[in-house]
Amino acid sequence: MMASYVSKVRQDISRWLAEGLIDAPTAQALRNDIDSRAGGGFSFGGILAVLAALLLGAAILIFVAANWLAFPRVARVGLLFAIILAAHAGGAFLKLVRREAAGEAGFLIGGAAFGGSIALIGQMYHLSGDEAQALLVWCAGVTVAAVILRSAASTVAAVVIAASWLWVEMWDFWSGADVPHEYLLVLAVLWAVSLWTGARSARHLIVLSLVLYASLSYLHTEQLVIPFLLALASTGLFLAATFRPESIERFLRLGGGAQVHGLLGFVAGMSFVQFAVMDEPGFMLAALVTFGASIGALILGGRESRMLRWLAYAVFGVELCIVYVVTVGTMLGTAGFLIATGALLAVLAFVITRFERRMKAPAAQGGAA
Amino acid sequence: MKRSTQLIGGALVVSALQIGFLYSIIQGRAAILRDGAEVMLKVEPVDPRDLLRGDYVRLGYEISSIPRTLFDPPLADADATGGTPVLVRLAPGDDGLWHPVGARLTDTEPSAMPESQVEIAGTVDTAFAAIDQVRLSYGIERFYLPEGEGREIERDMRERPFMILAAVGEDGTAQIKAFFDGKTRLYEEPLY
Repeated sequence: MMASYVSKVRQDISRWLAEGLIDAPTAQALRNDIDSRAGGGFSFGGILAVLAALLLGAAILIFVAANWLAFPRVARVGLLFAIILAAHAGGAFLKLVRREAAGEAGFLIGGAAFGGSIALIGQMYHLSGDEAQALLVWCAGVTVAAVILRSAASTVAAVVIAASWLWVEMWDFWSGADVPHEYLLVLAVLWAVSLWTGARSARHLIVLSLVLYASLSYLHTEQLVIPFLLALASTGLFLAATFRPESIERFLRLGGGAQVHGLLGFVAGMSFVQFAVMDEPGFMLAALVTFGASIGALILGGRESRMLRWLAYAVFGVELCIVYVVTVGTMLGTAGFLIATGALLAVLAFVITRFERRMKAPAAQGGAA
Repeated sequence: MKRSTQLIGGALVVSALQIGFLYSIIQGRAAILRDGAEVMLKVEPVDPRDLLRGDYVRLGYEISSIPRTLFDPPLADADATGGTPVLVRLAPGDDGLWHPVGARLTDTEPSAMPESQVEIAGTVDTAFAAIDQVRLSYGIERFYLPEGEGREIERDMRERPFMILAAVGEDGTAQIKAFFDGKTRLYEEPLY
């Protein structure tokens, strides 16, 4: 995706230059900028390298779990330590020879070997109990690596591990312990790290995981104020991203997509509200607000962002089904339900197709002008 | 040139930090195994239907559930929730097994203790007011088994008593040292 974007912009730059919209130095400066950014992103080969790293990493983790009488355990620990060293050093070397993606993949393998070592030591000494804590330690180790090596991929990995920590923590002690508010602290640290390592996708994941955090907090405490606040904050983010895109970009450095996050967070919040008040009159109000929000999002941001557009359609469609099931669905038989749903979706598809066509027409005009 | 020293140096520092950290855990555990006080604990099945979890058996102990009255000073309700660190005092019985004789919160002052007794560190899981019992974990509730040996042991554990020989470090941290089927030593843990 990144690669196609780069080639598209390069074509545009050439065209602008030919049409005299920009001068040659500007064109060169723009190309340089594109190239420098493209290096941080992933090309197709880069994606393959990272996938390979993930597979190798998984192999390391499985190797720890299985096969464990074949090798003496000292040998296995030694092997994992050697992999940690080799993967980090090899990754650094690959980065030096300008194989950025392969280097990052090396760091990922190193991080997986570190996690595997934690698991193996737990197994060696029959440590029981805190899986959550082990994940946190793993996350810390990968974060340190991300900072020192300035690795974007490791930053993303650390965010994913942190989110799994939150998940395990809340599911493990589902009955007893409180919501781990330290998570916000972890996210703040990882956010700072992502600015240092230039890991934009890590920031997207952090914003997403905040939605997860709010959702789990609600499920844990059943305080309806949490989804309300989530919906409110998400609305704020959406509006800010719509009317003050530069400030939001300067503040969050997401490189776009803030509106999508806003709509996602809003929908997550409103879904919980709707489920909570399903049998009360408030339900219709909540449903109307959600419909309104998806249409509002379409009007305010649909033109620029295709992802936002499709998310808004999806929200509208799903909301329609929910309202339908809650209100009339119970009165009809299964067959009637299927017919009605099919008809509804057909109408929706028709509207969306029309809408998409209208979106394309002005965009094409704008491009030609 | 600078970038190269930074990157390669960074990679070495990261590896050293990660490996050093892991090594220190191993050292800590090996030290407990080597120098810790040995206590023999009676295993009690946690949930007889479902002992085997993947590649380990879940272990419960006689000391996993102790009377609340053992606590001195008495356990406040605020402390009787998940995660509170406690120390349980164990004394050897005539049967060669160690039994709980006292308990306290970890951050209270220790009282005088006979030479023969040992304090083991645990955390509170739950406390049941009605039956006056406190459930505790000691971090030794798992025993990893070689592949394929789980089922057999799970079956045997339902039929006859199993024992764990644990080593207890200075601060009360427990570490499994050997796994006994009656008097037979099934597995003995090497230091590394």
